[in-house]
This record gives sequence, C-alpha cells and structure tokens, in this order.
Amino acid sequence: MYLVADIIVEICAAKSCKLCTQYCPEANTILYSEEMGKDQGFKYGSAYVAVDRCKGCAQCVWVCDNMAKNNAIKMIMIDQLPKAALTDNITYGEKSTTAVLASPVVG
Amino acid sequence: MSLDYVKFSNGFEKFMPKEYRDMVEHGPFGKKVTVSQMGNFKEVLEEHPMCAGCAMTLFIRLAMIAFPNPEDTITVGTAGCGRLAISQAAIPFVYGNYGDQNGVASGLSRGLRLRFGDKPKDVVVMAGDGGTADIGFQQVLHSWFRKERFTTIMLDNEVYGNTGGQESGMTNRGAVLKMAPLGKKFEKMDMLQMAKVAGCAYVATVVPNNPRRVESVIKKAVLIAREVGSTYIQAYTSCNIEYAIPTDKVMEDAKTVENDRYQFTEYVSDEAKQYLTERYGYKEFLPKPAAPAAAIPGKA
Ligand SMILES: Cc1ncc(C[n+]2csc(CCOP(=O)(O)OP(=O)(O)O)c2C)c(N)n1
Ligand code: SF4
Ligand code: SF4
Ligand code: SF4
Repeated sequence: MYLVADIIVEICAAKSCKLCTQYCPEANTILYSEEMGKDQGFKYGSAYVAVDRCKGCAQCVWVCDNMAKNNAIKMIMIDQLPKAALTDNITYGEKSTTAVLASPVVG
Repeated sequence: MSLDYVKFSNGFEKFMPKEYRDMVEHGPFGKKVTVSQMGNFKEVLEEHPMCAGCAMTLFIRLAMIAFPNPEDTITVGTAGCGRLAISQAAIPFVYGNYGDQNGVASGLSRGLRLRFGDKPKDVVVMAGDGGTADIGFQQVLHSWFRKERFTTIMLDNEVYGNTGGQESGMTNRGAVLKMAPLGKKFEKMDMLQMAKVAGCAYVATVVPNNPRRVESVIKKAVLIAREVGSTYIQAYTSCNIEYAIPTDKVMEDAKTVENDRYQFTEYVSDEAKQYLTERYGYKEFLPKPAAPAAAIPGKA
C-alpha cells in the first residue's frame, strides 16, 4: 500500500486558489473542476487528484497548508479511496466526478 | 512538427488510448495556454520515472507549458535525470552522447532554418549542471560564441544526480556528497557571467517555486533565440535524493536557496529588448513614461 494525495472538496471549494496544481511536480495529476463543489452549493470549483499519477511526495500538502493556508489536502492510503476516484473514471471532458465519488467501491 | 501530428487518423479515433484522446481534444497545441490555466488542460508531459517530489520534474513541467509553440519545438537533452521526463512528452526529443547537446542543437537549429525558412521552429536544450558546465562545457561555450540561435537551460541540482552524487562544477564549495565525502574544494562555477561574456542575448536565473516567473523567463528566452542569438536559463532544481531533502520540504528548500544564493536575475541585451518590444509587443522594456529621461539600459 502507498500514500496518495486526497483533496477535500468542501475545504478546497471555499478557496480554490489552484496553487497546488501549479506546484505538483507531476503533470496532469492535480486537475481542476469548475463544477465540482458547486453542485454542493460552494461558490467555486475544486481541485482533485488523478491518483494513479500521484507519486505521494506530499508537496501539494505543504503548498495548501503553508501557501494557500487552507489545509484541504491529506495523504491517505490508496485503498481508502473510492475506486471511482481512479483516473480511468476521470476524463478531461467530464470533470464533475462528485457523483461517482459518492459511492466507494473498495473491498 | 506541425499541428497535423496531433490529429486522429481517419477511423482510428476509437482505438486511441485515453491519454492520446485527451491530448487531441484538450491539449495545448495550436492554443495559447498559461500557467494559470494549469489543471484545466492536458499537458504534453506524460508519466515518467523521475523521483517523487523532484523539483527538476516540476521545472520541466512548467517549461513545457511555457513553450510559445509546443507543436513547433524540438527539445535536446543528454545523460542525466532530466531526460527521463523530457523524453516522455508529445514534443520531439533528441538525445545524443553525454555532453554533446549544444553541438547537436547547433546543427539542428541551422538545419531547421534551411528547411523551414522564416517559419519559427524552436530548439530548446535542457541538460543537467554536469552535462552543461562540465562534460558539455566546451560545446556549450562555443555554441554561445557562435551565437547559435537556440535556448540552453541548465537544470542545476548542484550534483550528478543520475549517477549517485558526485560533485559537479556547479556544486557549492564545501558541500559534502555521497561521492564527495571530503567536501568540495572549489567554488561553484559562474556560468551566468560566462554566458554574458560569450555573448548570450538573454541570461536568467530562476527557481521553480515561482511558476509564473518560470513561464515568463522561458517564453522570453525561446522568442529571443528565434532571431537574436543564444539564450541561457539557469534553474535551481534541487535533487531531494542526493541532498536528503524530505519531499514535502522541497518548495521550502527552493525558497531558502532562492533567498540565499539563487535570487532572480535577468540580463536582456539591448537588441533583444528591442526585438521583444517590436516583434512580440512586450511593454516592460519601453521607457517609463513619467520618469525623467533616464532610460532602461542599466536596468538589467
Ligand atoms: C560519456 C559518458 N560518461 C558518463 C556517463 C554516465 N552518466 C550518466 S548521467 C551522469 C551525470 C549526470 O549529471 P548531471 O548532468 O548533473 O545531471 P543530473 O543527473 O544531476 O540531472 C553521468 C556521469 C555517460 N552517460 N556518458
Ligand atoms: S492549494 Fe488547497 S485550496 Fe488551493 S486549490 Fe489546492 S487544495 Fe484547493
Ligand atoms: S502528493 Fe505529490 S505527486 Fe501527489 S498530487 Fe501531491 S504534489 Fe502531486
Ligand atoms: S536523483 Fe535527484 S535529480 Fe534525479 S530524479 Fe531523483 S531527486 Fe530528481
């Protein structure tokens, strides 16, 4: 098992500064959805992690905690994520993954 | 080397992998993308085996976003960590023997000019500090003296990272590394000064903890190299393995080093200033309107 970054939509969507996206060393890994979060009544969209590309460095956690001062990112064990969070289910065309994320399928 | 190579061949669309479809449909080719749009488009860089948290990886990622015309760009690299990522992008990559990157790029950039005339085809060299300042030193300096029109970027992690931690000319005096256990006895080489003496039209230092600055520096360097002459960027891209920086402290280290010995510096020749202003509408080199006639030259 290994750690990957997980962005808490409720906390991110309150600020949504996109800083983590600009500092993650890996390309195409922290993505941004204009819709995610809005469907829960938040003003902005949210960042989210394409976890199969994440190398677990936790740089985004440092950026969100210290630069954005928002503490919206946590490292979690990959098996604690809903299966639907894997990139396979995320295409750049349909970024609103909130619906699929609501049904964890790990087991 | 044209937008045609990022299209689907008729009938093949449904068989293409997702990454390729994303590239065609949401990639940066033929559009102008910026660092502030990151996370909203498919980047040309794909997955690669560089270490987790490596600042060099982040720098390469930002540089590729900053290329003014990625569809008309060729990168040239050499042995060292960076090529592990640079080669995994939807941008043609040329890889030669260790240290010959600026020789290869000289021929390539001349050949492209013969073949394509005035249509800009950008050549960008990205190599480590060992590849640039030690093994490739002679070819680097000569390409600058010849005013070859391409961009040289040094990925300066101040060590030979790919081979386990030998000192390079760019390592700081006193640094103790796995394969320099007594500490380095000589000063870090002043490649910036050498670039100026050799006649580079643009010379800048940058650290990846300021993505917008990386973007602006790369854009200027690539544009100036189209017509004016050689351009050189020296980027601090720490090796978290050889310098034992915890991965979640890599940006903190970048900030400390930036304040300490890697402050942003930028030299732009007068000809390059004029070129950027007239050709690409840059405003920053225009004389300040209200200021008493003291003009810009001393600025850089
Ligand atoms: C002619 C030759 N000599 C030695 C090597 C072995 N070699 C591969 S990478 C490397 C060092 C790379 O250091 P640097 O250029 O600073 O890049 P980094 O890996 O630190 O990014 C060496 C010595 C080689 N590939 N070719
Ligand atoms: S840095 Fe934090 S608040 Fe800003 S976009 Fe990323 S997760 Fe959201
Ligand atoms: S842990 Fe590292 S690789 Fe993963 S999303 Fe965060 S910054 Fe990117
Ligand atoms: S060895 Fe150092 S420079 Fe090379 S990929 Fe790993 S952290 Fe980066």
